[in-house]
Amino acid sequence: MSDFLRLERVEQWYQGRQVLAVESLSLREKEIMAVIGPNGSGKSTLLRLVHLLEAPTFGEIIYWDGSRLSGMDRKARRNLRKQMAMVFQEPLLFRRSVGANIAYGLRARGIKREEARKRSMEMMELLGLQGLERRYAPTLSGGEAQKVSLARALAVRPRLLLLDEPFASLDSPSRMALRKEITSLLRRLGTTALYVTHDHHEALEMADRIAVLIDGEIQQVGKPVEIFGKPLNRKVANFIGTENLLEGVIVSGGEGTARIQVEGGEIEASTSLPLGSRVLAVVHPEEVVLSRESAQAGSARNRLRGEVVDIGMLGSMIKVTMDCGFPLVSCITRSSLEEMGIERGSELVAIFKATSVHLIPREAD
Amino acid sequence: MGEIWRGIKEAMNLIVHLDPYVMKITLFTLYVCAIATLVGMAAGIPLGCWLAHSRFPGRKLIIALVNTGMGLPPVVVGLFVYIFLRRQGPLGFLNWLYTPRAIILAEIILAMPLIAGIVLSAMQNTDPKLRLQSMSLGASRFRSTLTLLAENRVSVLTAVMAGFGAIVSEVGAAMMVGGNLLVRGQPYTRTLTTAIVLEVGKGESVLAIALGIILLSITLVLILAMTWLQQSEGRASPRARIWGKRLRVENE
Repeated sequence: MSDFLRLERVEQWYQGRQVLAVESLSLREKEIMAVIGPNGSGKSTLLRLVHLLEAPTFGEIIYWDGSRLSGMDRKARRNLRKQMAMVFQEPLLFRRSVGANIAYGLRARGIKREEARKRSMEMMELLGLQGLERRYAPTLSGGEAQKVSLARALAVRPRLLLLDEPFASLDSPSRMALRKEITSLLRRLGTTALYVTHDHHEALEMADRIAVLIDGEIQQVGKPVEIFGKPLNRKVANFIGTENLLEGVIVSGGEGTARIQVEGGEIEASTSLPLGSRVLAVVHPEEVVLSRESAQAGSARNRLRGEVVDIGMLGSMIKVTMDCGFPLVSCITRSSLEEMGIERGSELVAIFKATSVHLIPREAD
Repeated sequence: MGEIWRGIKEAMNLIVHLDPYVMKITLFTLYVCAIATLVGMAAGIPLGCWLAHSRFPGRKLIIALVNTGMGLPPVVVGLFVYIFLRRQGPLGFLNWLYTPRAIILAEIILAMPLIAGIVLSAMQNTDPKLRLQSMSLGASRFRSTLTLLAENRVSVLTAVMAGFGAIVSEVGAAMMVGGNLLVRGQPYTRTLTTAIVLEVGKGESVLAIALGIILLSITLVLILAMTWLQQSEGRASPRARIWGKRLRVENE
């Protein structure tokens, strides 16, 4: 299957400073891809390049109809741009009625007033904006305004929707509600979307695939579980907030299970990496089981004794930090915390399988 | 004081009785200023938009010229238009000197930079993302410029008011290139301002006051009308009453 959109060796330089260097990135049809990365990582630049609002210093972008960026004149660029729409972080509504805002893109495509009105009404209905048609856009609340902005972009039925942190300026409840609504709407309309955010929870919830963009480079592309379960390098692991990131060296190995010496202790992990490799070991907190004694049944290879040094919250779960020679975070429910009577200073055993340790070769840094 | 009162009474008299001399001058002034403002808009608004959105060598110089143009002394403009239009001047062949066209030309030169300058600064102060958003929705450059002008309609109105206000009240250029002439006893290039200068010179301060009042009323009515248009922006928006003052709720 050919790609819906492909970027090849795209680089963008601003005044001698490189802000983006994408070796390659492809988007499939009808997929929602999230591009996540910290502020200033080049995410918005990427969107503007794809949207043909800005020309890259080098590189090629190949679009769904086979057209190439390098072969396009101004007219071709505008025609292609008309098959896309972009929603920015701010609603950027025009100072006119809500109805006129939503019809804007349709009118720019030369669609007659009546037809444009009809189609924008349909879109307003899909987004639950009925009755706001005549409202003066600057008087809307933040959430409504962002919805109108989305309706305005979707009204032109774009083949590719570009979203630049569209929910970042909303409060948490409206953000969550709108997130769900938009995801299901996009799936229903079969719109391909490229979605930029610095909120990895949002990406986790909305995207089919995630591309991690840090320092202008794509670090990793994959399904959300792959990104969060097996970050490819330290930058990705740090950005997605991986707990228990341990530096170590493989000191002995065999039959796929290796002993890894980390600062302050040793753990076992399944790996095919050779002896002596310098690695980063990732132990996911939800894979760690806490027990009062080490004699607990099971095949888990890692059983580390330690003292609880901190108890905090991790979303709705409880985050327990133990000192096992190195700090080890585990994640348990409130009820198990209470049942086991865990408190600061408790002596516990942390148990996790060798197969649930993810190793990142340190050369990848 | 008596003189002022007589002037006001006389003015009312002249207005109520639609004195032909006064009417001719008034209509002529309105005609000249309207044409000059329209041409000034037709040139100044696109110029302001173009300077705001394009990048080319020499742009800063043109912006500096526009900004200088906003403060041009009318007498100096009159002088240069005179030099160009006089018989030996480069445009002498047009035979425009001491005709209404000469006044209109001078007033355009005064109004255009004012309009361009105000439009330019408004466009530059608009969130550049708004232009990106309109292009993103498929608008051509031309359409997105129109959209941005519509966003800045308040400033565009201000620009027009400033342009009209500046030329309806100036006397130096109109006097110098128009000549304040009567032809066959009828006002030919006589505007309200040049007529006032003449009447004062003749010692006819009563007629001068009458003309002054008419000039003031014209400006007042037009400016009030435009201010009303300008401020009716967002009539549909809810208004909050705070300590008896009506405030418009902008964006939350």
